[in-house]
Amino acid sequence: MKTAPPIERLVANLKRLPGIGEKSATRLAFFLLSSPERLVTELADAMVRVKSEIVLCEHCFDLTDVSPCPICRDDRRDAKLLCVVEEPADRAAIERSGDWPGRYHVLGGALSPIDGVGPEDLRITELEGRVRTDGVKEVLLATNPNAEGDATAHYLGDRLRATGVRLTRIGYGMPMGGDLEYADHVTVGRSLQNRRELD
Amino acid sequence: MTTTHTHALLLRSNDFGESDRILHLLTPETGRVTVIAKGARRSVKRFGGNLDFFNHLRIQIEQRRPTSMARLELAKLERTFHGLREHPGRFALGCYVLEALDRLAPEGGARVERERLFHFGLAALDWIDGGTPDRRMRVLLELRTLDAVGLRPELARCVRCASALGPADGPLVPFRVGDGGPVCAACRSPEDQGLPIHLGTLRALQSSLGFELSALARIGLSGNALGEAEGLLRRFLRFHVGLELRSEAFLTQLTLREPEGKLRPPEARP
Ligand SMILES: [Zn+2]
Ligand SMILES: [Zn+2]
Repeated sequence: MKTAPPIERLVANLKRLPGIGEKSATRLAFFLLSSPERLVTELADAMVRVKSEIVLCEHCFDLTDVSPCPICRDDRRDAKLLCVVEEPADRAAIERSGDWPGRYHVLGGALSPIDGVGPEDLRITELEGRVRTDGVKEVLLATNPNAEGDATAHYLGDRLRATGVRLTRIGYGMPMGGDLEYADHVTVGRSLQNRRELD
Repeated sequence: MTTTHTHALLLRSNDFGESDRILHLLTPETGRVTVIAKGARRSVKRFGGNLDFFNHLRIQIEQRRPTSMARLELAKLERTFHGLREHPGRFALGCYVLEALDRLAPEGGARVERERLFHFGLAALDWIDGGTPDRRMRVLLELRTLDAVGLRPELARCVRCASALGPADGPLVPFRVGDGGPVCAACRSPEDQGLPIHLGTLRALQSSLGFELSALARIGLSGNALGEAEGLLRRFLRFHVGLELRSEAFLTQLTLREPEGKLRPPEARP
């Protein structure tokens, strides 16, 4: 028997989500179909609102519902300390460790020449601007400890060195080749405490 | 099911689904090969964080069915080329070579060719690791990469009559990019425009092919000759390979921006 077109359409849309194949999409579609109206409406509403209400923070470029984001507005956070991360998920991982007293700057990725991602595709000019105008004393380069993240940290170091700011790199503890997003908070905390001068 | 134990260099990596990665590898056993690394995104435990650029790996891959993608089962670190992670110029050059190999290296091929290509990949990373990533290094590496994948331009002989070029053909020789080499004085016709190249530049490039990469410091290539060599290689790559490498823009930014003096001094050279 042919599946009804509305179900087909839902399955086709669910399949576009990461990690969702034909089987999972079909299972989710039938789950939604058998769920109470209220649950489905809430889900649809949440999906629409996340798109319309989440914006980029005008200072740190993290995802937020109000710009400036809560961390950039918080006076207890040391504005002279700036932690540079690749993605919002990495910012969240460092925040979970509870060990960073300063603020953040989300680059939007790492240098990846093979994939065509160059310096102009990252928020580097904005970072330089913040360092120059906000009186930043230390920039902790917390890009991922893999080849592209390391190279990005050193590239940023070269660009920022002339400002005289202290440049540090997350230290041992984070496994080589690892990704902050998937590391536990103890490991992330240790790598912040073990940060070292960028040479 | 076939199990292969071999060495490998990572050429390209793409996330796949929630937790896997698809990797393009260069190996002496299989040439360029695409494998799936299960669970490589979420956990660094299984592969120890080794699945990264500029790592010489020893790997085990399994092919369950001839039609399915091979699976990476094991990846141990043999050596890491650290200098490429810590210096943006070296990083840019390393990415450029890996991308060129990914785009140009054949899948399969004769065993001796596969081994030669893999060893070229290692030697190139080793050279960049300890060298000065400048325009000269870039040109010499471009030529060696073309040579390694079997696309080397003709530099010593006339592309029409195959006779060796001599002083009588110079000092400027028209290089016919479309034909892949220079034209001697006897074969030249008035409409042979070509790219004018000094005989000395062609000779320097030709002789560089006879050196180990680690000994290329001995090849003198600077000033006018370097500019000529750059023009030749750039046009040759575009014409014969149809190649606009994604990593080229970043490399050009770095190799043009950073004068040699600003870099860490290279290790002592023989
Ligand atoms: Zn913010
Ligand atoms: Zn001739």
